[in-house]
Amino acid sequence: MSEQPVLDRDRMRELFDLRNSIVMFTGGNYTDDPYPIWHELRDQAPVHAGTPHELNGIEDDLFFHGLPFPEWPHFTAFSWTACDEAYRNDIVFASSATAVDPEYEGGLRGYESSLLTMGGAEHRRYRSLVQPSFVPAKAQWWITNWMQATVDALIDTILEEGRGELNVDFCAAIPVITITGSFGIPVHQALDVRETVSDPQKMIEFLVPIVEARRDEPADDLISVLVEAEYTDEDGKIHRLSDREIYSFATLLLAAGSGTTWKQMGITLAALLQRPDVLAAVRDDRSLLKPAIEESLRWMPTDPAFARWVAEDIDFHGTHIPRGSILHINLGAANRDPSRWDRPDEYDIYRPLKPSLAFGSGPHVCLGMHVARAEMTTGIGALLDRLPNLRLDPDAEPPSPLGFYERGVMEIPVVFDA
Amino acid sequence: MSLRIDVDRESCIGSGVCLVYAPNTFVHDDDAKAVVVDGAPDDLESIQNAVQGCPTRALRLIVEDEF
Ligand code: HEM
Repeated sequence: MSEQPVLDRDRMRELFDLRNSIVMFTGGNYTDDPYPIWHELRDQAPVHAGTPHELNGIEDDLFFHGLPFPEWPHFTAFSWTACDEAYRNDIVFASSATAVDPEYEGGLRGYESSLLTMGGAEHRRYRSLVQPSFVPAKAQWWITNWMQATVDALIDTILEEGRGELNVDFCAAIPVITITGSFGIPVHQALDVRETVSDPQKMIEFLVPIVEARRDEPADDLISVLVEAEYTDEDGKIHRLSDREIYSFATLLLAAGSGTTWKQMGITLAALLQRPDVLAAVRDDRSLLKPAIEESLRWMPTDPAFARWVAEDIDFHGTHIPRGSILHINLGAANRDPSRWDRPDEYDIYRPLKPSLAFGSGPHVCLGMHVARAEMTTGIGALLDRLPNLRLDPDAEPPSPLGFYERGVMEIPVVFDA
Repeated sequence: MSLRIDVDRESCIGSGVCLVYAPNTFVHDDDAKAVVVDGAPDDLESIQNAVQGCPTRALRLIVEDEF
């Protein structure tokens, strides 16, 4: 089968422990169900003063997109309409503090000048350089080059055992190896790179030799696409991305695309395994995998709240929000707004497919959404193909969600017929 | 009744959201701009989802009554 070296399991478990010190800052020890409070708050008003975690009664200082920014007033949107509108109005609701205060320093250290924080024409131009590598038609390129072999190798390691833990030993590994693979980094270095996720400077050390090599001789990978990408400015002058711009984009991809897809795949698998009849239906009719994944994104998006910096005074859905505030878009709450979905708390793969906000909206909508979908489809599809009678381990604790700004399940212990 | 779908190429960022909800009606060209397939073969609900889901409101659905 595949030649890919298998990852060191113990190191994986350490790096991908949802309760490790980094994840704690985003509310990793939160084990309550946040949705009943979100329903209550949304019933009271579409927009509230306060941060999402304060409004849920969490007193710790948590860190995430738009947090902590203690000197700025905070607001949170809960209804579908308010969240959707905020996402689409990028003039008032900007993606960086500097859109409001050009002098502002601090906040998203390391990502100040990335796609995530740019605005207007500059953002459009950069995004148009990379978008062609992330369209649905490119999904197969990602799968063949950087997903399939990893998925097969990971299943090979548990195949004979008749049991396994799918969250860390399977779901977590696939996205990191996919992204680092697309940079041209070999599998045995993937974990070293993942370790640098909170230290962009160290990550760059891995990229320097690769960018240099691709400038000399392009290959069939993402760094080569970035090296060759060109845009024409207003004066008709042709520009290419600088090394620095490529490092910053690569760093963003690793940060935005590895933890998210891992946890969403875990949430989806856990939801299916806890509903054996639904799992059986998906196994028998693979066209149901798409709605199963879309429904998991709606029902329990791994990152339920992103932030915007308010650039103008605005009366927004009954609340006055002054310029210089931060608005948190609680898309987790919007995705269960009863005005848009019947029985919103039910995980129901048969409900009519409708856009949710799991990947955001507006000009900053997730760039990697089709890569993420391809990873989940390839991963879950292969498990269903190769592990007969896959089910939760009846002797283990069933998976349960935890985390606040980054939600996921700890462990997915399974057994199958070996 | 007939359908017309307009794509505003200026606003289209090529997110591919429309291809998720109406995969038979939309494709991308080489610049990752949405292009409408002749006859827009998906059902109306799927096309409406694609149009409403477009993150930058680049799509417009026009339903024309035929006389
Ligand atoms: C299920 C997995 C994923 C989820 C739920 C997710 C969610 C999101 C959301 C909600 C945003 C918008 C952030 C904001 O509003 O400021 C976003 C942006 C982004 N995502 Fe994802 N994402 C996922 C996977 C990925 C993957 C696999 C990649 C890359 C390979 C990726 C790359 C990005 C990038 C680059 C942006 C910034 C786009 C911009 O600002 O123009 N994401 N993601």
